[in-house]
Amino acid sequence: MSANLTELILDRAHSAVISMDETGLVTYWNPSAETIFGIARDDAIGRTVADLIVPERFRHGHLDGLRRFLATGEGSVLDQRLEVAGLRADGTEFPTEMTISAFQDAGRWTFHAFIHDISERKESERDHRRLLEQLQRALHNSERRFDAIVGSLTDAVTIRDRNHRFLYANAAALAHLGFATWDELQATAPAEIMADYVVWNEDGNEVTMDDIPSVRILRGESADPLLIRTIHRPTGEQHWNLLKAAPLLDETGEVEATIMIIEDVTEQKQAERQNAFLAQAGAVLASSLDYEQTLRNVAELAVPDIADWCAVDLVDEDGDRRRVVVAHQDPDMLKRAEQLREYEPERLDPGRGVGRVLNTGEPLLYPEITDPMLVDAAVDDRHLELLRAVGMRSVAIVPMRAGSRSLGALTLVNAESGRVLDRFDVGLAQQVAARAAVAIENARLYSERALIAHTLQQSLLPAELPQLPGYELASVYIPASQSTEVGGDFYDIWRVPEGWMIIIGDVTGKGVQAAALTSLVRHTMRTASEFEASPARLLARVDRTLHEQPNKSVCTALCLRLETDRATIAAGGHPLPVALTAQGASELGEHGPLLGGFPNATWEDRIVNVLPDTAIVMYTDGVTDAINADGIRYGTQRLHDMLNLCGGRSAAHVIDSLTANLEAFQTGRHADDTAALVVRRLPVASVAMRAHDDRIAARVAHGGRQ
Amino acid sequence: MRRAELKIEDCGRTESAVILAVAGELDMSTIDALAGRIGTELERPVQSLTIDLGDLAFMDSTGLRLLIELNDRALREGWRLALVTPRHEAASRVLTITGAEAALPFQSENGR
Repeated sequence: MSANLTELILDRAHSAVISMDETGLVTYWNPSAETIFGIARDDAIGRTVADLIVPERFRHGHLDGLRRFLATGEGSVLDQRLEVAGLRADGTEFPTEMTISAFQDAGRWTFHAFIHDISERKESERDHRRLLEQLQRALHNSERRFDAIVGSLTDAVTIRDRNHRFLYANAAALAHLGFATWDELQATAPAEIMADYVVWNEDGNEVTMDDIPSVRILRGESADPLLIRTIHRPTGEQHWNLLKAAPLLDETGEVEATIMIIEDVTEQKQAERQNAFLAQAGAVLASSLDYEQTLRNVAELAVPDIADWCAVDLVDEDGDRRRVVVAHQDPDMLKRAEQLREYEPERLDPGRGVGRVLNTGEPLLYPEITDPMLVDAAVDDRHLELLRAVGMRSVAIVPMRAGSRSLGALTLVNAESGRVLDRFDVGLAQQVAARAAVAIENARLYSERALIAHTLQQSLLPAELPQLPGYELASVYIPASQSTEVGGDFYDIWRVPEGWMIIIGDVTGKGVQAAALTSLVRHTMRTASEFEASPARLLARVDRTLHEQPNKSVCTALCLRLETDRATIAAGGHPLPVALTAQGASELGEHGPLLGGFPNATWEDRIVNVLPDTAIVMYTDGVTDAINADGIRYGTQRLHDMLNLCGGRSAAHVIDSLTANLEAFQTGRHADDTAALVVRRLPVASVAMRAHDDRIAARVAHGGRQ
Repeated sequence: MRRAELKIEDCGRTESAVILAVAGELDMSTIDALAGRIGTELERPVQSLTIDLGDLAFMDSTGLRLLIELNDRALREGWRLALVTPRHEAASRVLTITGAEAALPFQSENGR
């Protein structure tokens, strides 16, 4: 390093730096030296160190030492920390801490001294000694009872001086701070003790020395009691402490020392948090019947209150791992968890970890994860590297069972918080796991039922709408929100000799019975239509079939036979279809009785012309009965108003508008299932286009069955 | 989606006759309340049950189905069911559409 650069750095050093040559003359004097000794650089350079900063009574020794070193090469004071008195320009002395080094360059010695002013430190040490003596005298003489009372308190009591050094600590405080004797505590710096702990307040924010009530008192602030959660780094033990502090004043009213009482509230706090946590867990777990969401809720519940990580493993009947959800507050750590999961076999080892917990049904606690354990568990080097990077400290695994069924396991991992999991955590995790298992099982059954219902519902509706020459078709089926049951609405369309038969209906009731009834009505209709062309007579046939059912079975249905330019309509207790033209909307046909409801009922056919660009809208009462948040029904008027805006538009447009309008009205939730079907006679120009397209399509699909 | 409200009022009873007045909305969310109340009334033998639907604001197919089943039961068990037509269109519509007004024992309010 060049001399210039060295000086550049030394000029900015916090320590006073002084260089001296063999003759004892000052060759370098940095700004800190100027401040500490009160002598300017220009005044110092060229004068002797002995004259400048060594008190007179030590000058002789200083010069002797220098001569001895130059003669023999022996320097007893070199390269060690010395506490020596320094002399200021004004003649006052002060304690310093000094380190001296000697360098030889071109046969000549240079000495460098690094000097700190330690007068403040010395003073506080003296104060501490004085206070300690006073207090001990007080304890010993006049207030003998003090230690007898305070000493036997179960709360930790400490008294500290203005520099946070301990003047007194009772037996509970010694135990709490992890010291066997008072002397041991005295020999340890306060900052060192604090460094052994990670400390949070109740809100989970880190607590620093400045927040401690006794320190606040010294700053002249009010010191409200402070609840802290500590984790002792070496042991990983968690404690909840309530810190209370009060000042000890001297004769002049100045704060001389602080008394702090540390109350261990770990048990109350854990019980309180457990109750709060379980209450929250109950609410969260009951909040969703969505399977995936429930799994995520379970995992996220435990983080970060109980553990840094939480994983939920689900297994199938064979005990193979089926699904894993991991929760962690830090997305980067989550990524690591995903990578780690790649190493986990689908078939679980019944002898260890999750596999063992599932096998035995008993929880497993690894309070301390050691490196050899990681080495033992690692499959390869990368795996080991990942395991080490995660820094697991403590792991607990508890089983999740619903009845006699083993669903999987809940794994809690503590890493960066450093907290060791204990029996208490396992107990809490078991309670959460029991609730989680019920929630997961419910969600699973629910989604299974919803799937079955959905599949069954699909089977009751045409897979896709057929192509009708001269017409276009569109339909919608909206199942009731939050329902796992098959709804009662249905529609169907099929070819008959005269044209097309369309039916839309609603069997009252839900579930398997409704599905069976829907199926019965559709098949009766389809079969009867092979020899019966009249919609009214088809309805009569269905009515008869329904009356033959052992249980009261009723159904509304609208039957419409569509030909090139006209339709034959019969209604059985069903809302009438709406004809929609550019001029507006109007109902078609005539009401007829409900099917299966009344004895001796009859129906009549109504024939209507269907002009080009006319849409016929058929719907179930799910549309008109829809109820909004204010309890208002959608109703026929709203439906007609909405349809009036759709005159002359495509069938798909009408269906889309209706669906969007209903969604908006009900704010997305359907109380009942809803079906609608629109058949629109194409305008003349479109028909010509379509016929042209159909001819091309027919040529392409040569041989395809019409 | 808001839950509908239904009010069932006792409008007089004798040894053998019960008159209930129903107001509010009768749909799948309120049907159990009415079905339950009627079930309780029919635990003891009655000769007639009158249900006044005059103030009913809304009725859907679930409500209609209950009335049909009740009518079937009355015919089977030999007691008399009397119904009063709802004044509100939103309640009477389902009766009109399905032909229930003609098929069920409805009577005008003052023609009792």
